[in-house]
Amino acid sequence: MLLAYKIALASPRVRAAAIEATEFPRLAEEMEVWAVPRIVVNGVPQWDGAVRERVFVERILAPVFE
Amino acid sequence: MSGERLSAWMRTAPIGGSYAVAAETPAATLVHMPVFRPDDEARIRELFDALERPVELLVALGPEETPMPGAGDLDFGGETRRIVEALAALSENVTFRVEEEPAGLDRFPAIAVLPEGEDVGVRYDGLPWGYELGSLVGAIVEAGRREPALAPESLEALAGLDQDLAIEVFVTPT
Repeated sequence: MLLAYKIALASPRVRAAAIEATEFPRLAEEMEVWAVPRIVVNGVPQWDGAVRERVFVERILAPVFE
Repeated sequence: MSGERLSAWMRTAPIGGSYAVAAETPAATLVHMPVFRPDDEARIRELFDALERPVELLVALGPEETPMPGAGDLDFGGETRRIVEALAALSENVTFRVEEEPAGLDRFPAIAVLPEGEDVGVRYDGLPWGYELGSLVGAIVEAGRREPALAPESLEALAGLDQDLAIEVFVTPT
């Protein structure tokens, strides 16, 4: 979670929200949250689990530069 | 400490790491319980006192409390406000205000973390209890830095971004 926050703080283009899955069950279901942390970018589920900074940045940017 | 309290404490005991702090009890028994364990309180105070710039927390309560199945009488908005109040009480560097439906927030309860009062898109949606208190504390610590806490390569990659990105991280408190 902290990485997402650090990225939002570093880039004016990026926003980051932690979402407590059990409190927003409908949204969690839509995003097919079966494991946490689940990372969603621009409304599209990307991956589950913690990764290193380099990998995290690569993965969130991947759909943009595809 | 009773056996039940002790096992609740053990389930939420910190796992180490700089922001590993946890609210004292599961949500069902949160009401009227202290927000932090004494050791966590001292650690959070230390982290907040080291902030390089003030951080404001904007609590969005929402239009009215929507009852959740199985939530009983737990007031998620009220509990979120209580946690934020307790955090702000630990340091002059952290302040808060409470609104019903501030612009830019659409899930409730929610907390916007505002470095120097500015909305840069850092949010916690929901009640930050259990391990997730650590996420909120981490957001405040990061927002309190004057310089980005990322590797130069990451900053370089992000500088090439020509569209907006909304990262959502789904979490659970246990």
